[in-house]
Order: sequence, then C-alpha cells, then structure tokens
Amino acid sequence: MNNLAALSPLLCVVLGALLVLLLEVLFNKENKSYLGYVSLAFLAGGAALCVRSWNKLYSFFNGTLILDNLALFFFLLFSLAGAFIILLSLKYISDQEANHGELYSLLLLALSGMMIMVSSPDLLVIFLGLEVLSVSCYALAGLKRKDEKSAEAALKYFLLGSFASAFLVLGLALLYGAAHSMVISGIIEYFQAGTASKTMGLIGLGLVIVGFAFKIALVPFHMWTPDVYEGAPTPMTAFFSVAPKSAGFAVLLRIFLDFWGASAETEFVFWALWVLSVLTMVVGNLIALRQTNVKRILAYSSIAHAGYMLVAVLAGDQSSLVFYLTAYLFMNVGAFAALIGMSKKGKEYNELEDFAGIGFKYPWIGGTFAVFLISLAGFPPTAGFLAKFYVFSAAVRVGLVPLVVIGVLASLISVFYYLRIVVAMYMREPSPDREVTIDQENPALFLVLFLCLYGVLQLGIFPGNILTIIRMAVSFL
Amino acid sequence: MIEIFLVFVVFGLLGLVLIFMNRFLGPSRSNPNKEKPFECGSPYLQKDINPFPIKFYLVAFLFLLFDIEVAFFFPWALVFKEMKVTALVVMAAYLSVLVIGFVYAWKKGAFEWE
Repeated sequence: MNNLAALSPLLCVVLGALLVLLLEVLFNKENKSYLGYVSLAFLAGGAALCVRSWNKLYSFFNGTLILDNLALFFFLLFSLAGAFIILLSLKYISDQEANHGELYSLLLLALSGMMIMVSSPDLLVIFLGLEVLSVSCYALAGLKRKDEKSAEAALKYFLLGSFASAFLVLGLALLYGAAHSMVISGIIEYFQAGTASKTMGLIGLGLVIVGFAFKIALVPFHMWTPDVYEGAPTPMTAFFSVAPKSAGFAVLLRIFLDFWGASAETEFVFWALWVLSVLTMVVGNLIALRQTNVKRILAYSSIAHAGYMLVAVLAGDQSSLVFYLTAYLFMNVGAFAALIGMSKKGKEYNELEDFAGIGFKYPWIGGTFAVFLISLAGFPPTAGFLAKFYVFSAAVRVGLVPLVVIGVLASLISVFYYLRIVVAMYMREPSPDREVTIDQENPALFLVLFLCLYGVLQLGIFPGNILTIIRMAVSFL
Repeated sequence: MIEIFLVFVVFGLLGLVLIFMNRFLGPSRSNPNKEKPFECGSPYLQKDINPFPIKFYLVAFLFLLFDIEVAFFFPWALVFKEMKVTALVVMAAYLSVLVIGFVYAWKKGAFEWE
C-alpha cells in the first residue's frame, strides 16, 4: 500500500523550497532570478513525477495521502499556476522594492500545502495542508515590507485567516464528535444513514463550510479579499486569486461529491450553499461596478467567479467544476499578468484612468488584457464562455433553473465592468496630466501572457483534449 | 455542588454589575481633551504610539522553533523501539528541516542582538 512514489511530487516541491531558502541565505545575491529558475526546475520535476503517477493510484501514510487522478490533475494545475507566478515575479520583485528571495520558497511551500489539501481524504490532514498554504500566503501578502498597504494586507489576511481557521478546527472537532470519523467518506455516510438527530454534525459541517468559504472568498466571508488583493504585490494577488481558490474547491468537490442524498440534513446544507452561491454572484458583481481600481475590480470579479463555481458544486458536476477552475486559471493569471505589465521601476499603474488609450499605445498588453477580460465576462470563443456554459448547463440538467437564471443575470452585470476597462483602453483619450509609460523589457511576462492567451483560446475553441483528461480524472472518484 | 456553583454565579455577576454600573448610571460628559493619553493641559508633541524596535519577537520565534522540537521528541522516544528504521528516517527528515530553519535564522542574523 505505502508507496514512496505517492510522496515524490510533494517531496520534490518541499525540497525545492528548502534549497531555495538555503541558497538565498548562503549566497545572498542582489539578483534573485536564479532562485526563480531553481524553483521552476523543482516544479517541473514535481510535475513530471505527477505525470508518471497517472492512473497508478499510489498512496502513503496508510491512505491519508492518495494520489488519485483528480489530485494529480490539480497538482499539475497548481504547478502551472506556480510556474506562471514565478515567471511574473522575476522582474517585478526587483522593480517594486520586494526583492526577497524567500518569495520563491514561500510559493513552493504554499504549493506543497495545496498538494496536501487535494490529495488527502482526511479532513484533519486537509486542515494541515490549508495551514501550510495560509501561513505562506500571509507572508507573501506582506512581501513589500516598506509598503504600508502591503503590511495592511498581510495583517488583515493573517488576522481574518486565523479566525477562519479557528472556525474550521471547531467544526472539525464537532464533526468528529458526531461522526466518529475524520475521513470524508465516513462523514458522508454519517449524514446519509440513520434517523438520529444530527444537529451537532450539522453545526460542525456548517463551521467547516464557513472556514472554507473564507478561503475561497464567498460572500459574506469575502470582506478581506479586496483589501488583501489590492495591497499584496500583484503577482501574489494573481496567486491568491487562483491557487487557494482551486484547492478549496477541490476539497469542497470531494466533500460534496456524493453528499446530496435524501435526508433532511443534506437538504439543509444544500440550501445554505445555494444562498451562499446567489449572494456571492450578486454581491460580488454589484460591488465591482463601483470600483475604479483595476486590482479591486479583479478582486471582486474573483469573488463573483467563486459563486459560479459553487453552482457547479451544487449541481454535483465535477468535470464542469474542474474545467471552470482550469479556464479560470488561464484567464485570471493572464489578466493579472497584463496588470503587472502596466508598471515600470518603482511605479505601478492600477487605476482605471491609467488605462485610457493603452490599447493603441501598448498593443500587446492592451490586446491580451482585452481578451482575458472578455473571457472573464464569458464571451465566446474564449474559455470563460465554455466554462460558464458547462457549469450552467449541468445545473439546468439537475433542475437548478432559478440558480442558473440568477447566475446568468449576474454575469450580465459583470459584462459592464469588464468592458469598462476595455472601453477605457481603446476608446478613451489619455488625459494629458496622467503620463503613463511602462517598461516593456520583460520577456518572462510576455511568455506568461502568450501562454495564457493560448490556454484561453485552446480551452475556448478546442476543449476536447482537456475535457477528456478531466473526465479521466473525475471518473476515479 | 449547586451551592458552590451558585456562589460562582453570584460573584461573577456581581463583578460584572460593578464594572458596568458606573458606565450605565454615571453621566458621560466626554470631550476630545479628556480622551488624550495625558490630560495635562499642554498639547502633546508626539503620536501616542511610537514604533519601537522589538527584539523579543525573534526570541519568541526561535523559542517556538526549538521548543516545539522537544515536544515532538517525547512521543517519538516512546515508540522508536517498535518503529525501528522508520522512526529514524522520520525524525531525520524532521530534524533536517529544523536544521535548515536554524541555518536560515543564523545567516539572516537573527542571533545578533543589535
């Protein structure tokens, strides 16, 4: 049963993190790029080990770490996200006074935390992974140590995050008391079997959902998101908006895979999540309308997207959720990459007015940004359209018509603020008192932009291959 | 039993009542000068909170690092005879991570008291 191969991708990433930490402190060079390349190498090694374990179902620690295909798919997704973020950080950190080599180490540790989260069926181990992820994220948010906003972001994230973790642990304790099991399948069994009162289990599950809702930023647990996203260094914002969210949804997917049964308790949980989903879609999109800072707009947009993903969880359709997460990775990292492109040494342009006329002045950044925004809004032929289409059609198939109607209306609202940025880029004259010049000497950034562009179009036009892989991944469950 | 419990309840409640009675019954005539940290008549020269260097948080961190380490050693010491080589490997892995943390802290200058 215990096979060291199950541990190898995780070990590879953790070793990379430790090595980067040692290199940083022993050599202490001014130019930190080589640390980025070392981390990329370890990520690639981890990804290669994942590919080799495909279909093998390795496990370790007596079944508390199981490499099924879904976990492997998420491993690959996280490695890709991590690689994008590393590429985006290479130049950013020296330009924006965040030149700390620990970034790469923390990033790899965060990735290892997420890997633990998605590959364990045991909620306690999942919590362990979540904490590894969260603690790394708190430090990453405060990477610009001299910047007040960055410090505020880190502190807010830390305080609210540990509060949410406390809820999660209390929920786990109650769940264990009620179900006598920490394993997800045991908890599902407990909720579906018998007629005894399940109030304690229900309270426990509710608290667990609150903990995860915080991490994936569902309304009304989203208050931290805009401030943290705005204050954190932009590549880290891209990371927060994509990776912890995917990991959180992977866990929710596992919990609620076979959960929706006939009993009254599961019905109750269903409607609770239904309300969360509606609130997230509506509130996220409505508040985004009033924002004038592009980073904050993207923050609210990521809240709203969590609402759409929750629809997939409610519909019980795993492949559409995984597809949505994949598409979201490409379009959101791409959008943030374009936003990072809007900077020069010591200066970032994040306000909406800065984007006036950018589409013609800097056609590559403007053009790709426009594609990513259109994809986030959900227009064909981009990945965002197909992702929404799969999620909503899966929901209609199981009869969630009111939810889908609300979702479609909410995404109609979202079109306004996404297109507002596009309109600013192509149809506004730049105001003479806001001089925007950006430094385009950043090949890694353009590599990420084009890879994301490729991903968005590939998933939007020819999704067949990826869908086949995703179906293989979820068929194991 | 119940008497002891009642004593605790009564005294607890009494404490609460005494704490808040003043606030509820007394008049509250506040003005900005009263809210100042020093009510001495002359305007103060600095903000009420000054940033000051804290060295002790580093000490606290390092204490965590090495104290938790010992806390993990005790259960390990109870079972390592049964677990044989596995126990050795697990503890070696754990210790190597700790040592890397130690080297990092050292090289970063966490032990220099300046």
